[in-house]
Amino acid sequence: KRMADDKDVLRDVWYGRIPTCFTLYQDEITEREAEPYYLLLPRVSYITLVTDKVKKHFQKVMKQEDMEEMWFEYEGTPLKWHYPIGLLFDLHASNVALPWSITVHFKNFPERDLLHCPSNSLIEAHFMSTIKEADTLKHKGQVINDMQKKDHKQLWMGLQNDKFDQFWAMNRKLMEYPTEEGGFRYIPFRIYQTMSDRPFIQKLFRPVTAEGQSHTLGDLLKEVFPAAITNDDDQKKYQVVIHGIEPMLETPVQWLSEHLSYPDNFLHISVIPTPTD
Amino acid sequence: QCMSLSITPAQTAAWRKQIFEQLSERSKREMENFQHYEQAIEQSVWVKKGTM
Repeated sequence: KRMADDKDVLRDVWYGRIPTCFTLYQDEITEREAEPYYLLLPRVSYITLVTDKVKKHFQKVMKQEDMEEMWFEYEGTPLKWHYPIGLLFDLHASNVALPWSITVHFKNFPERDLLHCPSNSLIEAHFMSTIKEADTLKHKGQVINDMQKKDHKQLWMGLQNDKFDQFWAMNRKLMEYPTEEGGFRYIPFRIYQTMSDRPFIQKLFRPVTAEGQSHTLGDLLKEVFPAAITNDDDQKKYQVVIHGIEPMLETPVQWLSEHLSYPDNFLHISVIPTPTD
Repeated sequence: QCMSLSITPAQTAAWRKQIFEQLSERSKREMENFQHYEQAIEQSVWVKKGTM
């Protein structure tokens, strides 16, 4: 058996899928009964980008005039399309039985909770601006700004069409750094909680200390969210989840940034209460 | 790959091994029983290249 390679992590992250059951909201008006629809959702993509089939499925039993903008909800929480699918699942539905059960709505768009998503070009614009923000943190924006328009398009098309090689042929440039510096300028990361007034925590954090030592995930949490690693009578209060796994606190953040970032080049970290059962 | 000297090879092995193991558990948990589900994005011809 071959030794696992760091490159395999990139593939595992890219090809992560969430089995999902889409059910039409009970108050939607249909002409006949709407069957649920089952789909494997790519963890690294966006929910409004990969649900054409869901819309077509429910279109068959609904009148055109009863269908406004489609939106999704999980147990009362409207799902933000501008968060990657894997983040939405880790944050709201970790530790639940699969498939993930999502309710589909075509009415009463929750204006206060969700941004409208009239077209895929809006998702593209959001994705590109997040990548640019990440590169500003990593390389003062020099790598993304040196790319051509077609290179930006390659990143987006790679994600949209689920083409790992196409995406990574370009994305690897965004993952480079001067060897002597031991990492990026700052690590692009965001920390999310379900019960919080703030959408997320984001701060400047360097991958190495002034003395050249690697900062770890534990160091990062200690600095920006100490509650996430405090133990209560040896009882772990929180799970720190990225892509459905809980990396050890000893894991260097530079390695995490290179291998467990989403395609938007951010580490999206969910801090969720440990299940009590 | 540059790796700070402050981290011992044994520690490196531990966190790396744990990530590989957890990712493989994740695949089992999230994908094994759902192979018959439809993919959200249809793959056109998928040519696996050894470039990465």
